[in-house]
Amino acid sequence: MSTEKQNRINEIMDSLDGCTRAAAPDFFYTRLKARMENELTPAASGIWLRRPAFAFATMAVILLINVLVLFNQTNNNQEEAVSSTETDSFQSMAAEYRLNEGNSSISYYNLNQDR
Amino acid sequence: MTEFELIQGLRNGEEPAFRYLVDTYQDRVFNTAMGIVQNAEDAEDVAQEVFIQVFRSIGSFKAESKLSTWIYRITTTRSLDLLRSRKSKKRFGFIQRLLGENNEPVQEIPDFNHPGIQLDRKENAARLFKVIGKLPENQKIAFTLHKLEDLSYQEVSEVMGTTVAAVESLMHRAKQNLRKLLENQND
Repeated sequence: MSTEKQNRINEIMDSLDGCTRAAAPDFFYTRLKARMENELTPAASGIWLRRPAFAFATMAVILLINVLVLFNQTNNNQEEAVSSTETDSFQSMAAEYRLNEGNSSISYYNLNQDR
Repeated sequence: MTEFELIQGLRNGEEPAFRYLVDTYQDRVFNTAMGIVQNAEDAEDVAQEVFIQVFRSIGSFKAESKLSTWIYRITTTRSLDLLRSRKSKKRFGFIQRLLGENNEPVQEIPDFNHPGIQLDRKENAARLFKVIGKLPENQKIAFTLHKLEDLSYQEVSEVMGTTVAAVESLMHRAKQNLRKLLENQND
């Protein structure tokens, strides 16, 4: 690297020497106090409710509840379907053995007569 | 007002104590933040956040270090947080542009001019600040506290929670990196 470029870099590196401290802008305290009053008052404590993160979290919870309800519903329907098939098979068996036609009472009467 | 009285006053929520704290430290906080975030408005925002945090968490301050060290630590942390959020916003904006959702032209950040720099050095300082912005976080903090706030290596080590030797090493690497970055810059 050339000496000229080296000197140029040295100049840039030394440019902060003797730098004075930047002063805070005027009325800094007034603005700070206003912000604090805004942030620390109870009315401002609900601001988080309006945050997108809260909205997304609420939506996620609602979706989860919906999914759970749907899942439960499907399970119940399946159980009902199973119990109705069971009833159907009982009914068909009863029809096959003519249990619904009052045979049971006749046979009971016949049995009593036999005695 | 002694530091002990100031801390007690802050813990009791006394406004004169808070006013005294702000008057005493506002320039130090603002200057440090300004050196790191390189923008006056953002630096004021950071400075406000720093004092709000001091007000809120003075109860947890154990006085194991000096109050000024604690305040510098909060300032550097808050400034780095702002830089990180600025970077993630930039990344998000880039993705939006890729997806064609945001067709606004990219705004170049103008050169930063620190108000405390002598007039004849302003141009050089602007170039130096540009490359300081590219340094790793630790080197940036050490360099800013030492060069802009004029803190000794001992004080910088207390703020950063490290040893003096580590700060010396950070400063050495920072200067090396700055030279390399300046060499690679086109005149």
